[in-house]
Amino acid sequence: MIRNARPTLQRRGLGQALVLGLALSLLFGGWVWARAPITVRVLMPAPFADATAGLVNAFNREHRDLRIAVTRGPFETESVSDLAVSSLLLGNSPYDLLLMDVTWTAKYAAAGWLLPLDAWLGPEPLESLAPGARVGNRIDGQLWRLPLVADMGLLYWRTDLMQAPPHTPADLVSMAQRLQADGKVRWGYVWQGRQYEGLSCVFLEMVEGFGGHWSSTEGNGMGLDQPPAIAAAAWLQNLVAKGVTPAAVGNFAEPQALQSFEAGEAAFMRNWPYAWQELQGPGSAVAGKVGVTTMVAQPGAPHAATQGSWGLSVLHGSRHPAAAVTVLKALTDEASQRQLVREWGYTPTLEALFEDPELVAERPLLPQLRTALDAAVLRPISPGYAQLSDILQRQLSGVIAGGEPPHTAMDQAARASRLLLEANGQGEPA
Amino acid sequence: MSALLLMAPALLLLLAVFVWPLLDYAWLSLQAQSVFTGLQPEPVGLANWQRLLADGRFWQDAGQTLRFAVVSVGLELVLGLGFALLLHQRWRGRGVVRTLTLLPWALPTTVMALGWRWIFNDPNGPINALLQSLGLASVPFLASPQLAWQTTVLADVWKTTPFVALLLLAGLQMIPADLYEAFALEGGSPWQSLWRVTLPLLRPYIFIVLLFRLAQALGVFDLVVVLTGGGPASSTESLAVYAYLNAMRFLDFGYSATVMLGMFVLLLISSAGLLLLQRRVQVRA
Repeated sequence: MIRNARPTLQRRGLGQALVLGLALSLLFGGWVWARAPITVRVLMPAPFADATAGLVNAFNREHRDLRIAVTRGPFETESVSDLAVSSLLLGNSPYDLLLMDVTWTAKYAAAGWLLPLDAWLGPEPLESLAPGARVGNRIDGQLWRLPLVADMGLLYWRTDLMQAPPHTPADLVSMAQRLQADGKVRWGYVWQGRQYEGLSCVFLEMVEGFGGHWSSTEGNGMGLDQPPAIAAAAWLQNLVAKGVTPAAVGNFAEPQALQSFEAGEAAFMRNWPYAWQELQGPGSAVAGKVGVTTMVAQPGAPHAATQGSWGLSVLHGSRHPAAAVTVLKALTDEASQRQLVREWGYTPTLEALFEDPELVAERPLLPQLRTALDAAVLRPISPGYAQLSDILQRQLSGVIAGGEPPHTAMDQAARASRLLLEANGQGEPA
Repeated sequence: MSALLLMAPALLLLLAVFVWPLLDYAWLSLQAQSVFTGLQPEPVGLANWQRLLADGRFWQDAGQTLRFAVVSVGLELVLGLGFALLLHQRWRGRGVVRTLTLLPWALPTTVMALGWRWIFNDPNGPINALLQSLGLASVPFLASPQLAWQTTVLADVWKTTPFVALLLLAGLQMIPADLYEAFALEGGSPWQSLWRVTLPLLRPYIFIVLLFRLAQALGVFDLVVVLTGGGPASSTESLAVYAYLNAMRFLDFGYSATVMLGMFVLLLISSAGLLLLQRRVQVRA
């Protein structure tokens, strides 16, 4: 018996140890679990994921209970949307925050994918923004997005070839042709003529500059078949016909236009603020010889800049909306924006930063960017924007690359746009 | 009964991966399910189909897709047959060349489309650099609707001719050599033997190739998306690209399903036409 008692005791001891161990590990596990930080997942286009890496790391060092995990999306704007849409369609999005292009907001909000931000951000969350950055975030009275960086179309010009930039479309053409005739540049003006979103941006600036509009609630709604829109399309077509713009523009996106201008081949370029940084780089033939201004316009018509800002939205399926809002605020606050301006040359959205003497001394472009931001115009705000833009791109591409008569093409664009909106019970978009 | 049992797994698989999605799409094509309905399905009867019939863009894309399929598959068949005949002959280094010929087919479409996009870039691609160094004007290969379409066909022919050559080569190897010897003994020339011996015996392989390639070409997507994005002026847009735009960009799932079904009908008619053709050729032979 005694001989047998020992193993029993031992066995009992072993069992106790096991139970104790289990309890301890459960306790410890629970403690670790309770202390595990909440992770806020953000999907951003690759360039923004790179630019915000420093901010994100600093945030993660400072916060023990909150972590930001950034998913580095594709480079191309529309590919990022494809990625986000495919995950959102499955119902259970892996992301809490999405960095969104200004044109996505209406579509995503209508699809029910975004969380309205008013309840989280307190009264007047847009008050501190520059006026041009306030628009495009609020749709149907609700705030869906807080802008992180502003972006708008600019006209780049060569300070070594002219005293001052052109103001009217006719000026631009005559100056370009003179410089071409003198052999100073091969091309007059390079821009984005490929059948894609960039073409809609180019066109919007011109239709406004000719005194018209794409689509608006004021006046007569759809403006694509009005004389200014036809004049704008004809002007773009003529640029190619006159040899001011290369025929290759029909396949130009931003990088191709930049490449040509950077090599000193062209007198003017339409591009976004990011190009400035590239043009001052070591590979540029025009470093220090570049100025920016807003797009040309007919006398009396506004010099317009297409609004292309990026902002953060909280996705509806987020399991930690409060944490997501905290991150959203941190990434868009003044210190973060300052760092993005200083280190990456992005355009801020906060009004105070445009007037900050220290920042302006470092980034002399800021006042001009501010002027362009004040001139910013929005593309139509509609859940069907992607389709409206696609209709326009298709017809414009026919005008520029296919030699279609501008008035028939624009008539068709207007008709197709109206059909789309009427079929879906939508009035003209704002 | 046991036959049915033995066939059941295959039938179930077909039902799951083919019939069910098709029925699902048919149902979806009778709904308005888009960003305008908050992504909720709303029955609309045949509205999507009426829209499809009146949609000029659908018909333009259908025409382009069909034209693309016929022209590129036709070129691939002629070139692939030539390569197959060449690779069937005995000559030094044939093994190496056979392997090399397959390379374009082994390359992922996206990669090769990116390659062509660069080659045909205006003004900085190699072809335009060459033209300019010869004192010629650069050609906007991807910026003119006609040229962009031709470039897309060229890229597809480059990529899939090896596939056609490979299948036809397999067919050539099935033809007994003594048939050729007998034909030659009777005084037939090599040219005649191609028409009287090779092609008739290769016929089943040619139809298989046509069926495979036609189905693939009618569904062309990745090549177009990467090479041209469908432009300029939608001249290179295929039906698959249009369906994709409707679903992923416009969030109009009801109409996207309708476009897909339209494409399916087109594919069905083409395949049926091909099979009828095959039967008639067989009867005549």
